[in-house]
Amino acid sequence: MLTMLEEVVLLAVDEHTGDLRSAREFSTAYALVGAVFFDLALARRIDTDTEAIQIVDRSPTGNATLDSVLAGMAARPDLTTVREWIEHLFHLRADLEGEALASLTAQGILRHEKSKRLWIVDIERFPLIDNVRQRDVRQRLRETIMRDGIPDTRDIMLVSIAEPCGLLPYVLSDSQLGARRQRIQMLCNLETISRKVTAAITGLDATLRQAMARVV
Amino acid sequence: MIQATQEIRSGWCVVGVTGRADGECADALEAVLRAAVEANAKVAADFSALDYISSAGIRAVLQAARAAEGSRREFAVCSLSPPVKKVFDMSGLHHILRIHGELPC
Repeated sequence: MLTMLEEVVLLAVDEHTGDLRSAREFSTAYALVGAVFFDLALARRIDTDTEAIQIVDRSPTGNATLDSVLAGMAARPDLTTVREWIEHLFHLRADLEGEALASLTAQGILRHEKSKRLWIVDIERFPLIDNVRQRDVRQRLRETIMRDGIPDTRDIMLVSIAEPCGLLPYVLSDSQLGARRQRIQMLCNLETISRKVTAAITGLDATLRQAMARVV
Repeated sequence: MIQATQEIRSGWCVVGVTGRADGECADALEAVLRAAVEANAKVAADFSALDYISSAGIRAVLQAARAAEGSRREFAVCSLSPPVKKVFDMSGLHHILRIHGELPC
């Protein structure tokens, strides 16, 4: 089974070109950190409540990315809230994406292509070799949003990460998204981690706007 | 630690849960609720003596409610203690779970 981080990164791969979509770059970075927390929560290594995040089991998961983050968290007992951890791990965003892409490539789902534009600029693409996994992730997202039933908790997490990443418009039409906006917001609100990811993004947006206003 | 009791009242299987539903007990909570759902047409989870619920605990309740929905059984969460009600309210769980102020029986 793919990790939540791998599923989100796979969803961000353009199925036609192999380009990575990053419609909202900072949001995506925060959401990737959130995806790692969800993976650790699903592996029963961490737990959260309305504010705090706790390690409940320090034993390795067997996934190098998750174990590296888990070890980092164990070494910083002074950081206790979800928001502090999301902001602290923000600098790992490129590593998280890169490690997920490397894992998806090693699993035979993506192919890594490098080329140069105008002989100078490095271009990286990740065309799909096996599109079954991406189709499955997209299908789960669609069903979780379009149906009214109680979703699987893993799919709730997937929606609440795909939404701040700006990836839902690649899965559902504008009219579907408009019609199901309340459902999407409800699903995103269910998990503490996604609420804190959204709060962190909102806080960052406000900081950037203030900085821009000072410059102007 | 959580402790669970079960009794049948007016056709409902009432599962009383006591203690803390956190990451260490979430599997146990899910197992108790799922077992009740599999064996009964109507299940009410009585959370009046539940002191605390974390994200893992909420996931356990959601998975049990999902199992009930899949097998067309009735599942309700009832009599939330104040700290647990606060978490449920913040999460907006009333949108997808059937929540009662009192036991339905």
